[in-house]
Amino acid sequence: MVLARRKVVYMLLVAAVVLFLSPFGWLLITAFKAQSELRAVPIHWWPHHPSLDNFQQALTLFDYLGYARNSLTIAGVYAVLITLASAWAGYGFARLQAPGKRIVFGLMLSTMMTPQIITLIPTYLLFAKAGLVNTYIPWVLWGLAGAPYLIFLFRQFFSNMPKELEEAAIIDGCGQIRIFWRIFLPQSWPVIATSLILSFSWSWGDYISPALLLDDDRTTLSVKIATGYVNEHGTGLYHLIAAGSVIYIVPVLALFLILQRGFITSSATSGLK
Amino acid sequence: MSTDQLTGPDAEPAAPSPARSAGGRPRSGRARRPRSLQARRSGAFYVFVGPWILGFLGLTAYPLGYALWLSFTNSDGLSPNARFVGLANYREVFTDPDTLASLARTGLFAAITVPLTIVAGLILAVLINQPIRGRGVFRTLLYLPAVVPPVGAALTFKLIFDRDSGSANGVLDLLGINGIAWLGDPYARYVLIMLTVWGCGNVMIISLAGLQDVPRELLDAARVDGASQWQSFSRIILPLLSPVLFFQLVTQLIMTLQTFVPLLISLDPSPKGVGAIPESNYLIMIDVFAQYFANGRYGYASALLWVLFLFIMLITLLVFRLSKGAVFYSVDPEQTKPKTRTIGDK
Repeated sequence: MVLARRKVVYMLLVAAVVLFLSPFGWLLITAFKAQSELRAVPIHWWPHHPSLDNFQQALTLFDYLGYARNSLTIAGVYAVLITLASAWAGYGFARLQAPGKRIVFGLMLSTMMTPQIITLIPTYLLFAKAGLVNTYIPWVLWGLAGAPYLIFLFRQFFSNMPKELEEAAIIDGCGQIRIFWRIFLPQSWPVIATSLILSFSWSWGDYISPALLLDDDRTTLSVKIATGYVNEHGTGLYHLIAAGSVIYIVPVLALFLILQRGFITSSATSGLK
Repeated sequence: MSTDQLTGPDAEPAAPSPARSAGGRPRSGRARRPRSLQARRSGAFYVFVGPWILGFLGLTAYPLGYALWLSFTNSDGLSPNARFVGLANYREVFTDPDTLASLARTGLFAAITVPLTIVAGLILAVLINQPIRGRGVFRTLLYLPAVVPPVGAALTFKLIFDRDSGSANGVLDLLGINGIAWLGDPYARYVLIMLTVWGCGNVMIISLAGLQDVPRELLDAARVDGASQWQSFSRIILPLLSPVLFFQLVTQLIMTLQTFVPLLISLDPSPKGVGAIPESNYLIMIDVFAQYFANGRYGYASALLWVLFLFIMLITLLVFRLSKGAVFYSVDPEQTKPKTRTIGDK
């Protein structure tokens, strides 16, 4: 009875895995096909002459590595700034008292729900007025402001640290900034790592902000792979889209597989708040 | 870098009065006028939280206010002499048949994908929560699609559902069915739904965490009392899980209303603008985009944006009310004790 149930569970799970992973399979198969095979009737379920040519072309049709560098720069700067800024604000919410704190904290929690696209468009209009379009300054500003979700993560972590840590430091004449920087921040490396990974992957996967803010030559990889693989008539080169996407997705999946514990835990806490 | 910004004069105006009276500097112990520890602490709070407040004011509140102002004008973003038109834009939002159609389409899309995503995530979580080997592997593999950047996911689905080279039509061909133009009307909407449900890994992980918080004793007691599997699921697990699911409902709903990926699946790679999106995927955010950047109707588009914003805020407020803070309560560090209990009592 129990054994039979286990078998059913296994079968359902294996079926789900096959279903969920099959898109990756087709992406890979397409990436190894020759262009001529794309129109084959009936369809080729397996590349007849698998080769790495598509990958080479995908990297060279436009300056793939250059755009990857743009993505890395933006995501790196953004991730570092937003992590520091969120830790900074999270410390304030966790360890300091002031009149109005409850209101500010409530405001912070409610902005966690603020729809991002809705503020993005008017923000873009204002950035355009201020001449910040086609610069990376918007990401610096977004980074410095911190993200409510990350602030919340840091706040939770800092709240649980013992009071004695701080009291000893105050007796030694440490200011709050030094307490934060020397004592609390170095202790919070698990949250720092989570925050860096999350914010890096938000920025790496972001399409709309760079599409709105950056010109074609300064944009990120997300925008370029969605628009760059076309021939001179403007028709999509699907074999290259596939190869380019594989190179774009694999680092993210690899990062996830290496660091999955942190990824999954942070995702779980986000829902349990 | 953030420290410079904080101690700079800009940090002051954002902070409400207590901060100003305490001075922006936390190390003001040797200041001329001696202050109470209390006041110094308040000052420190606003030094730490000030940058976020500034960011909120500058990057969220101000843009939203700007859009609100635009929504009462007939601005086209270019000509400087935009006129004040009162509520005309809002009146148009609620009377224009195209806008109403895309609103209805978005509502229908949300009504289908949100429950589907949550149910799919929950079923997977329940399966993974069974006492079997390799749970970790299954969890990782099933979560993988949720990690893929949206652009990558959209392009992958574009390849699968391409009319000539896609595997979807390949399968249909094996079954002797003629190929379908999946990415055109009316099928594009089903592709979009599948793409959305594919990423149900987040719901799965969160539900799984919720399932694992269900106290074992409760389930054991139920079994002793002769409850069937289904009874203990529907009478114990589901109610205990309800705050988590409820929270998922809100976040999924908000995310779905903002869906913007269809721009990528059903378009040719060459950027032709959002006008080329098949009608069945012409969701409200696409409409907003088109109104701004294709039609240059900044005033009208801003009104549309505000209607959406108010709607989303309303949903959020409603949920906060309905859930009576049970969800946030459970991890409030000031009251760490009542954890799953409080959720369960609800």
